Amino acid sequence: MKHDLAIVGAGPAGYIAAKKAGDEGLKVLLVEAKKLGGVCLNEGCVPSKTLLQAAKTYHHALHGEAFGVEVSDVRFNFAKANAHKTKVMDGMREGIVGLMKKRKVEVLFGQATLSEGRKITVDGETHEADNILICTGSSPSRPSIPGIEGSNVVDSTGILELEQLPKSLVVVGGGVIGCEFACLFGSVGVPVTVVEALPEICPTLDPDLAKILRNELTKKNVTFHVGARVEEISGSEVKFSVKGESLTAQGEPILVATGRKPNLANLGLDNLRVDYDERGGIKVDERCATNIPGVWAAGDVTGRAWLAHAASRMAEVVVHNITGRKDHMRYDSIPSVVYTSPEIAVVGLTKEQAEERGMKVTTGKIPMSINARYLAEHPGERGLCKVVVEEGTRRLLGMHMIGGACSEMIFGAAAMLETELQEAEIDEIVFPHPTTSEVMKDVFMAVR
Amino acid sequence: MPKSQIVEPQEERKGGKLVCPDIPLNQYSRTSEDELESYGAEALLGIYEDMFLIREFETMLQEIKTQGIYQDIEYDHKGPAHLSIGQEAAAVGQSFLLSPEDHVFGSHRSHGEILAKGTSAIRKMEGKDLQTVMETFLGGDCLKVVEKESNGNVKELARDFLLYGSLAEIFARAAGFNRGLGGSMHAFFPPFGIYPNNAIVGGSADIATGSALFKKVNRKKGLVIANIGDASMGCGPTWEAMNFAGMRQFDELWDESMRGGLPIIFNFMNNFYGMGGQTSGETMSFDALARVGAGVSPDAMHAERIDGYNPLAVVDAIRRKSELLEKGHGPVLLETITYRFSGHSPSDASSYRVKEEIESWQAIDPLESYAAELKRIGVMDDALAESIAQKTRVAMAKACRLATDLEISPRLDSETIGDFMFSNRPRESYDVSREPEFLIPHEDNPRVQTLAKKSRAGIVDGKLVSKNKVFQYRDGIFEAILHRFEKDSTLIAYGEENRDWGGAFACYRGLTESLPYHRLFNSPISEAAIVGTAVGYGLEGGRVLVELMYCDFMGRAGDEIFNQLAKWQSMSAGILEMPVVLRVSVGSKYGAQHSQDWCAVVSHIPGLKVVFPATPYDAKGLLNTALAGSDPVIFFESQRLYDIGELFEPEVPAAYYEVPMGPPAKRRSGNDLTLITVGATLYRALEAADQLQERYGMSCDVFDCRSINPLDYEPLTESVRRTGKVLLSSDACERGSVMQDIAANLSQFTFDYLDAPPVVVGSRNWITPCAEVEEDFFPQANWMLDAIHERIVPLPGHQVTTNPTKGELLRRNRNGV
Repeated sequence: MKHDLAIVGAGPAGYIAAKKAGDEGLKVLLVEAKKLGGVCLNEGCVPSKTLLQAAKTYHHALHGEAFGVEVSDVRFNFAKANAHKTKVMDGMREGIVGLMKKRKVEVLFGQATLSEGRKITVDGETHEADNILICTGSSPSRPSIPGIEGSNVVDSTGILELEQLPKSLVVVGGGVIGCEFACLFGSVGVPVTVVEALPEICPTLDPDLAKILRNELTKKNVTFHVGARVEEISGSEVKFSVKGESLTAQGEPILVATGRKPNLANLGLDNLRVDYDERGGIKVDERCATNIPGVWAAGDVTGRAWLAHAASRMAEVVVHNITGRKDHMRYDSIPSVVYTSPEIAVVGLTKEQAEERGMKVTTGKIPMSINARYLAEHPGERGLCKVVVEEGTRRLLGMHMIGGACSEMIFGAAAMLETELQEAEIDEIVFPHPTTSEVMKDVFMAVR
Repeated sequence: MPKSQIVEPQEERKGGKLVCPDIPLNQYSRTSEDELESYGAEALLGIYEDMFLIREFETMLQEIKTQGIYQDIEYDHKGPAHLSIGQEAAAVGQSFLLSPEDHVFGSHRSHGEILAKGTSAIRKMEGKDLQTVMETFLGGDCLKVVEKESNGNVKELARDFLLYGSLAEIFARAAGFNRGLGGSMHAFFPPFGIYPNNAIVGGSADIATGSALFKKVNRKKGLVIANIGDASMGCGPTWEAMNFAGMRQFDELWDESMRGGLPIIFNFMNNFYGMGGQTSGETMSFDALARVGAGVSPDAMHAERIDGYNPLAVVDAIRRKSELLEKGHGPVLLETITYRFSGHSPSDASSYRVKEEIESWQAIDPLESYAAELKRIGVMDDALAESIAQKTRVAMAKACRLATDLEISPRLDSETIGDFMFSNRPRESYDVSREPEFLIPHEDNPRVQTLAKKSRAGIVDGKLVSKNKVFQYRDGIFEAILHRFEKDSTLIAYGEENRDWGGAFACYRGLTESLPYHRLFNSPISEAAIVGTAVGYGLEGGRVLVELMYCDFMGRAGDEIFNQLAKWQSMSAGILEMPVVLRVSVGSKYGAQHSQDWCAVVSHIPGLKVVFPATPYDAKGLLNTALAGSDPVIFFESQRLYDIGELFEPEVPAAYYEVPMGPPAKRRSGNDLTLITVGATLYRALEAADQLQERYGMSCDVFDCRSINPLDYEPLTESVRRTGKVLLSSDACERGSVMQDIAANLSQFTFDYLDAPPVVVGSRNWITPCAEVEEDFFPQANWMLDAIHERIVPLPGHQVTTNPTKGELLRRNRNGV
């Protein structure tokens, strides 16, 4: 049977594309090599956020005194936290099965191999489709450090499979993933050492935010070494140097979180002459079209955005274009969140990124502590809201927050960016009081 | 006829040895007293005056270039100055006996030759003739500057005119000999027989050969000298030119009255250096340059080495060689040894030669040596020498002052350069005084008789006329050529297979029967010389049609097409015309070196008209236009088209008609999409238009861009404004093609009306593969549909079979394919 759309990979791009295409009445084939839900549901966002919530709850229990809540004999049961994690994941996967069934999406499990003429072979059986969407996601990449293949070394997938709390943890790579795990384990009492090569953690973030995060995580059992060059991993020891000084850190296990690479292998991309490169992934245009007619790609496999919700949006764009609706990606209004405590949520450009594009910008920042709700709920924590505005047009270019439930607020700023609002228009929006979200309006007062 | 020249195996396989004539080296033995007796004191003194004039002229330029001042005149000259200080005797000796009908062509280092030829002409011409020349040249603009300070002596005025005209040209002034558009390395003045100098080393070799061909074919008086340097012997076109000038057919096949090689002297001014390389000792394989003559012809081109440091030795050589040329014993090779004291140019510090070498030549400075000799034989004394020097310096200061003053000598408004790029003069004949020469009457021509029986319409009663009954594209070419041969007595045609073969694609079949050898002949496989000689023939005022068979062979004639054919009209400020049509054929089936469409290469070069007819009607009409004009035209044909009949016009008229260059031809009308093609791709675009109509209900405007430069965009923009969609296609490789150029322009002209960017479907940016898989390389109808579907407007239900996506274009460009 010839399908209208064949999708390779059932992650947040794949199953969303299948759902949307099904809604449009297309005949859809969805092929998954492992489990429905992809990295996000099975090895990434969902399990890590479940555990992070467990750690946050534990932390609140320990530190309720400021609110007059006094709890004793607080224990962290890692097995129970893990059980909760598994339950959430199973529930989500069942939900996807239901979604697919309802839309008569044909789901196949196995490795898909593409061949010329938009053919897909799974387990020796070949299927044809008018359109193919490749969304095979990404995998953790490991840098070439001596000893990196040691049995004590885990990646972000492996660390989620721990059954017991580690005694100590070294995290190689102080990016978003590394910081989330540092926060998770640090909050439940595991001594954590983070070794980052660059001068600051989370280098893609606004430097003010990164610095606050580093200071806040330091309060949670996390030791940071920035500007550190890892030289060798030997058993549970990581050898590294900072400004010429040789240092070591002990960890069981050692988490390597130095980035991810697109999953391109064994797909038969060369059979189709699909344009890609090993690091940057499959090349797509703003409609997520590859260089081959009828072949599309979305999500991490394109080397763009590296976010589940970006992948889902790319999938939407693909289905829209297939079904004749003009649509294209606007990467600058995709928010991104670091699920640490405190949380970080950002959307749009940092000052540095905007200036790199030759734009003239002005910024404003306010501490979260000027906000009543924040002050009430987060005693002793530091938070910040920073805004980037284009000079002249006073158009919002970027919103950057740390502290409070900013991950739940950021969509508001994303909507402002998506609709290209200017300062004066944002000024007319009414925010409920008292909420932490008011910082997004108040921050404009600080713009110079 | 070559059929009469049987190649006998017994003869060719016979043993023996070739004997080459001796090549004299510096055999001049006459005394100054002998020459005094022959020419008289005044003439010998004149040689000194002219040598001194050149020395002073070059010294003035050297001082201007290096110090910014000559006498008390300050000037900053930004342009080049390749000086010939030390080479004066060679120039003056050469021109001493020449008349204005004798034409000299030069090199980048020819200021001396220009002045020497000019003063020689001034001495020989009548005062009233000189006056007429000065009054009429460039509307008298040059004369107006110098006549204000004239003392009434026309010869002195003419010398001032020569000095000023040359210098104003070097300093890029509107009253310079070529309005400042040629400059130091390209200056010339035809009324004195000073023909173009050339900034390309050896560039004058084949052009001068074409000039000699013109003189021979049109029975004009005079000889031609190609003044080129010793280093030009390293250039292929120089060898091609020497061979061309001595082709055996001149003696063996041409009419009795035309017998003999071309009247040309290849004069190699051997100053022993070509840029930083020493020729005889370092960069060339000869010991003495004159040796090369033995390799070219049985008479060794009458080659000699002569002493260019003794003007009388040069005079003697030119006298002897002129006699040979008059008897039809050309071509001649002269190696005139000389030496430049200055560097290649003022920026050259002569780091490649020792001071002692320069000093040893300065010790025999030709100017001083000749002065001493004149004094010895009593022709000149110190006072006279001083008086000549004084007079010359005064004249030089005057010329310099006039030529550097921006008020007296303004520059040409640069915008007017555009007016000189093409002469655009319709010319029925370049010599109406002569009847064109023919062997048989028009009606007796066998092809004319055959064509009378053909169907001039390609479609009769709605049916295609069969190939053997239809008047074909190649017949249109034939008719246009025959017509112009019958109208223009100067027209000649040549190429590698033009005569008995009838052209590789049968366009010339039947011409051999009608035309004498000197109007239609086979040339050597010398593409550079074919085009270069055509340039020389054209700038002398003769019409010429040359052919390179395959477009790909233009690579062998790069300089001649790009730097010579394209440039001389404008570098001469319109003094010269260039009625040269170069036919090239775009091939197929013959792989990577015989299948390329290089319209873009030539249309990129300013100064060339470029056309590519795709129908028999246009082939005849456009060739008629090209052969009736005054400009160089690169005339593209396609080997896919030679046998087709006319499908668009009711028929190909037997009578003469012209198709104007500029407007594209609209081959079909529609409303939904504009298709634009160049060349044979038209027929595949029409297939695509049929499929668009049948499958998707879209109607197309289809344009045939038969004229690439000039191109009238109006019909195209009118169409694109209406359809909002445009696809362009040709058999040229897509990157940098004419189609891309037109697409870029259409984007600008019609941006607000476009529904999608213009899309170009060209051949792949590959080599042309073998004939069996050519359809993977040249654009096909389905490629066009796919490109429309992917990049212009989705065609409902269309399934692409090729890959025209933008992503794929990005990938291919990244990979350079």
